[in-house]
This record gives sequence, structure tokens and C-alpha cells, in this order.
Amino acid sequence: MTLIIESGYEFWNPIIWLITFAVVMVIVYFFRKRGKEKYKKGEEQAQIFLCGEEVPGSEQRQVRGSNAYWGFFETLKEYYDGIVRLHTGIVNDYVVWFVTVVAISAIILFVVELVG
Amino acid sequence: MSLKAFKRALWVYHLNTGSCNGCDIEILAVLTPRYDVERFGIMLVGSPRHADVLLVTGPVVKQMESRVKRIYEQIPDPKLVVVVGNCGIEGGVFYESYSLAGPVDQIIPVDVYVPGCPPRPEAIIEAVVKAWVKLEKAEQGVS
Repeated sequence: MTLIIESGYEFWNPIIWLITFAVVMVIVYFFRKRGKEKYKKGEEQAQIFLCGEEVPGSEQRQVRGSNAYWGFFETLKEYYDGIVRLHTGIVNDYVVWFVTVVAISAIILFVVELVG
Repeated sequence: MSLKAFKRALWVYHLNTGSCNGCDIEILAVLTPRYDVERFGIMLVGSPRHADVLLVTGPVVKQMESRVKRIYEQIPDPKLVVVVGNCGIEGGVFYESYSLAGPVDQIIPVDVYVPGCPPRPEAIIEAVVKAWVKLEKAEQGVS
């Protein structure tokens, strides 16, 4: 039984992969072992260095998905400000918008029908 | 001087706690080809996590007090603090200023003082070498 998977361009062998993984782990262990063991755990020595600033909580130092769209929202800020202002969250406002849009659509359809 | 315990290069983290930059320029001079302390294995590093020595210039202004303490705490043991310039030692021209939290040794423990306004590069090098000898003893105590 052969373990080698070949696609014609490359091959994959789990034994080679395991050997490579083991070699990498040995190298990682070597560097980790060279680190200082006697450090103050749970104190400043274990904290992130942020130019002396207090490190904020993990929820405040993450890059959120919305950060990727920062330029997009910044460019269309005026448009979004207007749109967000319209979304009041009050049902009455939404009903007014619905009735208005239906009325305008009905008038347009009526005019088109007359002209046609 | 022969080093026995501390056989690696001495890494120094430089912190300005409100200096006028006079001392900082002299520290820069220490690194230039004229003095070139890197040939002795003395090197400035960008993080206290890698440093053996904290080199402080300037008096500690109130804004910097908590930062100085935090950076000092973040340096791995054994560590030493060298204060460069009169301002860090006793306030210098900023003595009793409303914005000062105090000289450096009122905030964190100091091992070597380098007086001067600003001190000459030779004095700074001598201070770092003294710190190195002290660190050698501290290292022997730790190991």
C-alpha cells in the first residue's frame, strides 16, 4: 500500500509531513527552552509592551470585521448619516414611508397608464 | 574587568521621561562611529522586554510616572537603571516644577547616576560599564 498521493504536479506523503512537523516542533522547543523561566507570571513582565501604556482589554484591541470597511464608510459618510437618521426604529415612521412610497408609485403607474 | 556570569551583549532600553533632548543627543553620540559602543556589545533595543538596562533621561513628568513604573516592571530580572543627566537626578532646571512627579529615584530604584547637563558620551559609557559590572554580580546572585 502506497501512502503517496500524486496529482501529476506535486505529491503528498503523510510520513514526510509528520517528520517535517516533528522537526519544526523540535526547533520551536529549542527556541522556547532558551527563554527565561524565572519571570513574574501574571504581572507586568507577562503583559504586552505598548510603549508604557496600559494594555486595554482584549475586546478593545481586536481588529473587527467593520475595520476593513473603514474607508468605504468614511467615503460615503454623508450618505450613511442620512440613511441612519431615517432609521428611527419607530413603526409609525416606517408606515409613513411605506404609505408615501406606495402613493407615489401608484401616481407614477397611473400617469404612465394615462400617457400610454 | 573580566566578565564571568554575564557573558552576553548588554541590551539597553532608552526612555525619555521629559528630557529637553540634550542627554538624548549625547546618547546618540555614544552610538556614532566616534564612540561606537556596539563594538563592546552594548546595544539600544526597542523593547524593555529585551533589555538588561533601563537608561532614563529627564525628570519624570506627571504624565510619565505610571509609564516609567510599567516599563521598569516589564524589564526581565536582573535589571539595572541608569539615570543620565542632572534633570533625572534631582530635577535640574525643572526643579520643583508643578508638572514633575519627582526625580527618577523617587519613582523607581536607580543604580547608576550620570551627572551633567548634558553628560559627555565618555561618562555615559562609563556608567553603562559600571552597570554591567553590577549586573554581573546580580546575575551571579540569580544563577
